[in-house]
Amino acid sequence: MKNIIGLFMVLSLLVILPTVEIVFAAGDEPEQYIDRRVEIWNLFFRMMTVAFVVGAVVSGTLIWLIWRFRESHPKATPTKYEGTSELDR
Amino acid sequence: MSGHSNWPEWVYIGVVVALLAWVGAEAWNIERIVEHVPENAEVIKVTGQQWFWTFEHADGTVEKGELHVKKGVPYKFEVTSKDVIHSFNIPDYLVLMDAVPGRINTVWFLPVDEGEYPIQCREYCGLIHYNMRGTLYVEGGA
Repeated sequence: MKNIIGLFMVLSLLVILPTVEIVFAAGDEPEQYIDRRVEIWNLFFRMMTVAFVVGAVVSGTLIWLIWRFRESHPKATPTKYEGTSELDR
Repeated sequence: MSGHSNWPEWVYIGVVVALLAWVGAEAWNIERIVEHVPENAEVIKVTGQQWFWTFEHADGTVEKGELHVKKGVPYKFEVTSKDVIHSFNIPDYLVLMDAVPGRINTVWFLPVDEGEYPIQCREYCGLIHYNMRGTLYVEGGA
């Protein structure tokens, strides 16, 4: 439980606090003119970076899970049900 | 469930929630910045109708099918329509706003490069929608 709380605190510091900061910065408009092309494309590139990283982590985890827990893996350990024909019922 | 650790699930939930919060805040923040119209922006009334665009400048000058603006001056478009729903689009400047009858939508932009840029309708509005085009002329100025 302590680990979970610690983890959430780290996540809060890393992500949620900057998020809150952005929200409270509302009203501090930029003094210079902004170029909407730059702002919008930058947002797009940031979002794509996150999307590709998340996609790589998720698909990598799935591939590893399938590879590691296949029946023919050298370190595969049978469950207590295997060989009892209990699963066939 | 005894002896079963579920901390990976909590990590997963925490990461997903944090990411969603970040994505939402970033998008909201950029939208806020982009939609903030400078106080000194010149107003141009944009009216769409089948199948051409009309532009009315603040000084009363009216242009049809073409729009002349000055480089370095912020412009605020007040977009509306006389008949059906159109969509006012300047692809090179990422300007896109629906033109809806009975409603005025606003969008602003800052022309920074001199040249000619296409204006087009981005909402299917009838037979000649494909040719509901115009030209934006950005001229040296301010």
